[in-house]
Parts: sequence; C-alpha cells; structure tokens
Amino acid sequence: MRAPGRTPLVSVAALALAAIGTASVSLAIDAYGDDATKPGVRSVSDRAPPLADPLDPAFDVPAPVKLPRSAQESTWAPVERAVAARSAPRPGSAVVARVDSRTPEGTINIVLVLARRTDAEGTLWIRVRLPVLRNNTTGWVPRSTLGGYGIVRAHLVVDLGDHRATLFRNGRVAFRAPVGVGTAEFPTPRGRFYVRNKLTRYRSPFYGPIAFGTSARSATLTDWPAGGFVGIHGTSEPELIPGRVSHGCIRLRNEAIVRLAKLMPIGTPLMIRA
Amino acid sequence: MAGITGLESVGDPASRDRFLTRALVAGGTLLAGGALVAGLPKLAASAQSPEQDAEIFNFALLLEHLQAAFYGEAADTAELDGELLEFAKVVAEHEREHVDYLQEALGSSAVEAPKTFFGAATTDPDAFAAAAITLEDLAVAAYNGQAANLTKGALRAAATIVSVDARHAAWIRAIVGRPAASQPVDQPLSRAQVLAKLDESGFLREA
Amino acid sequence: MTFRDIPDLALEDLDRDGAIREAADRLPRSSRGGFLKVVAGGIAGAVALGRPPGARAALARGDVAILNYALTLEYLQDAFYTEAERKGALAGAAARLTRVVGAVERAHVRALRDVLGSKAVARPFFDFRGVTESPPSFVRTAVAFEDLGTAAYKGQAHLIESPQVLAAAVGIHSVEARHAAWIRYIAGTLPAAEAFDQGRSRPETLSLVRSTRFVVARPRTTAAKKPAFTG
Repeated sequence: MRAPGRTPLVSVAALALAAIGTASVSLAIDAYGDDATKPGVRSVSDRAPPLADPLDPAFDVPAPVKLPRSAQESTWAPVERAVAARSAPRPGSAVVARVDSRTPEGTINIVLVLARRTDAEGTLWIRVRLPVLRNNTTGWVPRSTLGGYGIVRAHLVVDLGDHRATLFRNGRVAFRAPVGVGTAEFPTPRGRFYVRNKLTRYRSPFYGPIAFGTSARSATLTDWPAGGFVGIHGTSEPELIPGRVSHGCIRLRNEAIVRLAKLMPIGTPLMIRA
Repeated sequence: MAGITGLESVGDPASRDRFLTRALVAGGTLLAGGALVAGLPKLAASAQSPEQDAEIFNFALLLEHLQAAFYGEAADTAELDGELLEFAKVVAEHEREHVDYLQEALGSSAVEAPKTFFGAATTDPDAFAAAAITLEDLAVAAYNGQAANLTKGALRAAATIVSVDARHAAWIRAIVGRPAASQPVDQPLSRAQVLAKLDESGFLREA
Repeated sequence: MTFRDIPDLALEDLDRDGAIREAADRLPRSSRGGFLKVVAGGIAGAVALGRPPGARAALARGDVAILNYALTLEYLQDAFYTEAERKGALAGAAARLTRVVGAVERAHVRALRDVLGSKAVARPFFDFRGVTESPPSFVRTAVAFEDLGTAAYKGQAHLIESPQVLAAAVGIHSVEARHAAWIRYIAGTLPAAEAFDQGRSRPETLSLVRSTRFVVARPRTTAAKKPAFTG
C-alpha cells in the first residue's frame, strides 16, 4: 500500500521488507520475484516491474589472440639522435661508427635490432646493424638513442649470380623478379643489410617510379654524393634486366618495383648473396 | 542522475548522501514507471528508477552480507593461515565496507543479513578458495548483469564495488596458483540466475 | 607478507605530436552507410532478443567517442604486452601473465575495431623505451596500466548512452580489474588496496598516458625526393 506523498522508494522497500521478514530463505529468494519458474509464489515484484535480464552486449569479444610467433620476425628501430655505436655494450668501449638520426634523403634513419644487453650500471644496450662502411658492420648503442620498435615479418634475398630478387613473407615466397645488379667494376656488395627508406613522387625515369634505400653502400664508389648507398629501384632501361648493369644498385623493371612496394615494409632485412 | 558530476569519492559519507538523496527525492511515481513497462516483453530493458535502484541495491546487499559473513568467519576463526588468512582479513574488511555503504544508502529499506552456514569453507584451504572464487565471480556477474538496469548515479557507485570484487576473484586464484584471469570478458547473470546459484551453494540457511 | 607501494605514473610533459589527443577526441567521420541498423521497433530492449548475424546497431556519436577512447587504451596495453612477449626479457609469473593478458588485450582491440568499423581510430606508434625489456620496469608499468584501464572504463560507464554498449563495457571493465589484481600480486603489492575503486576521468587518464611518452609519432621513413643512390 502506498501512502500518498511518500516516495515510491520507501513504499516498495517496505513491501520487500515485509515479504522477506521472517520468511524462509527460499521464500525470501522468491520474493525477488522475477523467477518465472515459481509461478505459485506471491512475488513482491507484482507491484514492481521485474528486473530485466542482462542485455546482449553491443559487441562480442573474440577468444584470446595468441601471438603468431615466427622465426621470420625481425625488429627495427628509428635512431632518435646521432650516436656513436660501440664495439661492446659498455660506455667507453671503442667507437665503431657514428650513426646519424637522418638519412641523406631526410627520412628518419633506422637500424636493425639484433641483440640486447644490460651493462653493470643497469643501462640497456642494443646491438644494431649499421648503415656504414665497412658493410655488414654492427655496433652497440644505448637503448635511449633509439625510438619505438617496428616488427617486420618479411625478408628480401637478392641472388647476384641468378640475378633474382625474392621476397619472403612469413617464410613463404611472396614475390620474385629478375634484377639488374652491379658490374664487376661497381659491384653490389654482399652480406646482410636492410631497407631503410622509400622514395616516391619524384621525377627521374632512371630510377623508375619508386626507389628504396638500403643500408648497403658501394665499397668502390666511395666518393659518391650522399654516401654511395645502394638502392632498390625501377629503371628506364628494362631491357637490361637481368644483367650486371648498374653502379651497385638493384634494379627492377617498373611493374616489379611497384609490386614489391606493396609487399615490402621499411625495415625489411636484405640478404645479398653471390 | 542529473547533477552528479565529478569524481565523488564513494567512500566519503557526504558524497554518498548527496547522490542518494537525489535518488530518493527524484519525484515521479512508480505508477508512471509501472505503466511504461507493463506490457513489454520480459527481455526489455526495464525503465530505470530510484525504486529499482533500491531493489537492485538490496539484491547486491544480500550478496555483500554473504561475503562479509564468509570472510568474517574465516578471519575470526583463523584456522586458515598465511596468505589465505591475510586475504580473508583484507577482503572481510572490504566486504564490510560494502555492506555499510549499501545499508546507509538504503536506510530502513535495507534487507537484513541472511542466516548463513559455511562449514568447512571458512577453515579448509581448498574449500575456502573454491567458495571465495564462487562468491566473488558471482558478485561480479550480478553487478554486471544489473548495470543497464541502474540509474546513472547508482551505476557509478556500483562500478566502484564490482571491480573490487573482480580483484578479489583474481587474487584468490593467484594465491592458489590458478591463472588469475583468463577470459576476455566477464559474462553477466540475471538476478534469478544469481539467486539460483546461491541456492545451489548451500551457504544460505533458513531463518 | 608485506606489500609495497607502487607509485602512480608521474605527470610530465605533453606528448610530442598530439597523437593520443587526436586519437581520443576524434569525432566520427560521417558514416557512409557503413553500419547496418538493427530495426528494433523503437524499443531498445528488443535488441536484447539478439542481433541477426553480421548486423550491428548504429552507434551514437558519444558512444563512438567512448569506444575509441577505450580502443586507444587497449592499443596501448596490446602493444605493451605484445612487445614484452616478443622481447622475451621476462620470466616466470610475469612472462605467463604477459602471454595470457596480452592475448586478452589483443582480443579487446579486435572487438573494438570490429564494432567501430571505419570509425575506429588508427593504431598509434609506440616507443616503450626499454620498459618492456626490463622486468622491474615492466611490472611497475603493467600495474599502472591495468589500474588505469580499470579506472578509465569505470569513469565512462555512466556516460555510455546505449545499454548494449554498456553491457559490453562492464564485461571488459571487470576483466581489467582482474588483470590489475594479478599483476599487483606478482609485483608484491596489495591486489585490492581499497574497498572502493575510484574511476578516472578521460582528461586525467589521457594526461597520465601522455606523461609516459610511450605514444609517439610514426617515424618518417618515406619521402618525396629524388634518389641519390649509386644507381
């Protein structure tokens, strides 16, 4: 019974109290009343609307997502500030090379992350692959000089003898194309490198529509402006491919470089073998 | 609830009063609410109202009474030891505070503490852990199940409690070496489902 | 057993590029018929009867903003645990938690991206500055993240318009609280320090996230420039 003027809250609660009072527990539970399986029991909710069942959520959450672990993963990091890469993870060890934070093209310089070590003072050092001469050089830099890690699951292999480039993604062949490589006089260097930037929207038929910069450098064209870096790019002379035709760069026919650009992220490791 | 802004500390008596006073004097009538809801299918979201908040809070209070009694008994009996006893003591205090809060919010409408029986669940480590997991998970499912039924003010208050019960649930699992949390989402239960599970547990006893 | 105090994340300078601010405050682009509307006969509760497979109810603008805010925090947690797992610097209980909780946060990201569709904010770029590679830093930061995630969801609950979105959010909120207790247990601090958990407002949460300086601009590795390679 609701007395006029009293708030509904109190009157409903009073009913609830009366119903529960000294009743047995099962009755007390029934008094909450929205249980349709006990029709005979007088319910306090005869007056109050039953509590609605939980609603369907607006979205479901899928099952937990395990990390796809693959041996084909590699890590790169941007160079936040110019740093001296050292031969050991220790301040004061010999300097191997200076690493700039920018490439000659004005992009952020990146390095490939190879290993990790904490020194005696607790400083975290990272061993990185360096875009310096001699080719295939690695060195140690403090973690604080690097930015956030990027993960790549692709790697590119260039066979100089077969004049072929093959891109693997998650361990499977995703791309293949014939390439033009360096002449005997200006050979494409061999070893382990990585793709460090991508240039587009320039006008230079010689380089084709897209050019990738790598960490590899010509060992012979040491006076080349901008460091003599080896690129992977298109060409205005597709008929020369495959062949030993370049100053060290890896040339692809234009349709191939466009295809490759859709599949190969920056930071992709590059192996150049004989 | 109009007018509730900012992060009022639920633990602060003054602010608790503020939001509940608003709830109590919200005006409007049950009749209007009842008429709105009458005739809708059972699964429709019920219209939120201060009265319904009270009903839900009483439902929550039943669960909190149960938990407070359970942990209180475990802590007082002190037959558990080490981590389990420490857990029981800390959680008993939390559940008591939950009971206090809901009782204060409901005033004279608050349901009485039910009679309970826990048997070995408050003294035997395995039984204790199993019961704690059941009760905490049940509380989480109960609060989550009522979230959409609460007015916004009551929801804010309930939200400060449900996560603490979820912490308890993970904590006891961690103590006994189980994965503390493995599901991506907690499933809600309706009030009827919660009460049925309580029935099954055997912890509630006849008056 | 004594419990350690875990300090809050320090409030420091602003993020470098406004990425977090942009992500959280971004208003939804006008929908281009991207969502199917569930015809509910004008009664919200009818939606509770179940959605046709593949259909999504149209989201209110405010709910889109809230879900994107949640997504931003889930991106952060996902990236944090994923990197920690990949780096492999953790062991024991912390490593186990990273695998399990990371898998859940990745699922949360998927769920939010799926429901938001074209309105989902883009995944930011992160620099965890060695925190994922140092077990003590990792554990401290994970405690802060999980407490923060719980408080963030809690702070939004009463602002969500759709009861169905609320239903989804509360189910995630309590899971984040379980994570928080778990990592605290591993850290040796009280899994539940207080009887009542406080929520945090969006500005406060984002300020704390900014203070970590973990969210960074994507490094520019492309340029519109003529190559100077050896050719």
